[in-house]
Amino acid sequence: MIRLLAAASAAALFAVLRLTTPSVVVVWVGLLGLALAAVAIVARWPWAATASGVVFLVGYALGLQLERRAVEPGAALGLGLALLLLLGAVDLARRAGGATVHGPVVGATLARWIGLAAGSFLAGTLAMALAAAVAGTLPVMASPLLAAAGGLGSVLVLVALFRRAG
Amino acid sequence: MTGRLTPLALSILAVAAWAVSLGVLAARPELFLAALPGLLVLATLARPVPIPRCAIAHRVSGDRLFEGGTVTVTVTVLARSPVALVELLGPLPPGAELRSGRHRAMMALRAGDAVEWSYELRFPRRGVHDLGTIAVRTRDRLGLRGWEHRHVTPTTVRVYPRIVPLRSLPRPIRTQPSVGDYVSSALGEGIEPGDVRQFAPGDRIRHVNWRASLRLGQLYVTERHRERNADVVLMLDTLAEVGAPPETTLDQGVRAAASLATAYLARKDRVGLITYGGVMSWVRPGSGATQYERLVDALVRVDVVFTYVAKDLLRVPPRVLSPQALVIAITPLLDPRFAKAVLDLAARGFDLVVLVVSPVEVTRAALAGSPADDLACRLWALERRSDLAGLRRHGLPVLEWRPPEPLEAVLVGGRRRRVRLASAG
Repeated sequence: MIRLLAAASAAALFAVLRLTTPSVVVVWVGLLGLALAAVAIVARWPWAATASGVVFLVGYALGLQLERRAVEPGAALGLGLALLLLLGAVDLARRAGGATVHGPVVGATLARWIGLAAGSFLAGTLAMALAAAVAGTLPVMASPLLAAAGGLGSVLVLVALFRRAG
Repeated sequence: MTGRLTPLALSILAVAAWAVSLGVLAARPELFLAALPGLLVLATLARPVPIPRCAIAHRVSGDRLFEGGTVTVTVTVLARSPVALVELLGPLPPGAELRSGRHRAMMALRAGDAVEWSYELRFPRRGVHDLGTIAVRTRDRLGLRGWEHRHVTPTTVRVYPRIVPLRSLPRPIRTQPSVGDYVSSALGEGIEPGDVRQFAPGDRIRHVNWRASLRLGQLYVTERHRERNADVVLMLDTLAEVGAPPETTLDQGVRAAASLATAYLARKDRVGLITYGGVMSWVRPGSGATQYERLVDALVRVDVVFTYVAKDLLRVPPRVLSPQALVIAITPLLDPRFAKAVLDLAARGFDLVVLVVSPVEVTRAALAGSPADDLACRLWALERRSDLAGLRRHGLPVLEWRPPEPLEAVLVGGRRRRVRLASAG
């Protein structure tokens, strides 16, 4: 059941890539991501799931660069959620492997992911609306620097959170 | 209890960081959106969460068993607060096998929930096993933070060597003063009739032999042989072993020693034990149920300890290795130092029996069984036959036991041989 969930997430990630662009290069990158995800699911190796997630992200970025389409927030959020689901499902499968499972472990985990998906869509919609409002006021020349600063800031905040959490 | 971030949190951080970095490089907002669910999950780390609390108790169905026996480990978990995920790793000591169930469990509990989980362990080999530690790992709702601790309740399981009932045992030449099952040549109180002699003052009326008295016209009494016990010392060779556990030559030797000890103790004999190896240890001869416990406790812990030093049996106190005792040396005869020690005992006039656990059969059972292996085993068996003949030439009664043949069959054959030797010389 848990591994089926992980397999479904990997398939969804590949589908997002395939829908983004029909480019052969991106499809090959997607197949590499699928292979890594298959290794992670079969062998219950979390590092392979992380590597697969990164490969899918690189493929997605490549697809976006090749196509230069208008922003599609739904597909991007779906990709992010599928990535999270893949990582979480492989981690849970590793823990549940060879163990007796008591209580609604999988059901509770699924419920949390569904809640997270709803929250993410809400946050994504809000973020996009906010970005659209702010975009008009920002100088064009400064926007790459602001984006980099924002990225760096978010990573620093995460590091601070990690150090605090242990 | 130690709290730390889980590998899942690090994976999410890595993927989110990649998404943000690629978003900056590619100048595409979709990648920031892709990072958003991960960032939202990681943002929950800012919120302090209470440590999930659960009480754990565990019990083991038995603390003593024989090889091949099973015990059931039952673990009870009581959640004192909501526990999103708790992982438990029950004890599975080396050498034990899972017979049913699993020794790992994963649970999601609400406050006040109690869950019982059990599994069965089989112990194919003797030993003392610790079943008292359970590793507990709890996680928060999203699996980003984990807390680990060990629940320890001292619980030890002793696995005793398998015992086979033995009826034919090597008979000791010398007996001890205490009452036992052997008919002594000395006369006194007993059951076995001895001489008939004239009645003397002090003789009991119930000892009068009425048939002889009527025939001879005077009172005659029947004297009886005393029944005595004996000291038996089991000397176990722990210098070397061959074969695959749980059927190594030492395992077989320990089983033989335990069976012999049980049978001799049942005959009211005093039984002692000497383990002759890298570490030499002994148990003083004694009788009764307590002595049985002492002997099997010592046998359970027996293991091969390699040494270059040849141990001298003179170190063993005479109260352990009494000159009156029957010494049964149990050995695979893999190390010549044990054969030398046995010959030394024989030269000192000990009543000695050598029970040789054949390493050839044990090794053959552990091998794949190729023609080359078979040939090597046959050559080895020939070589060993010559070695055993050498020991027999010294006048030692040598019994060769080839497991899985029954030990009883070997002892019956050995008994006949000893009788013949005694009558011959």
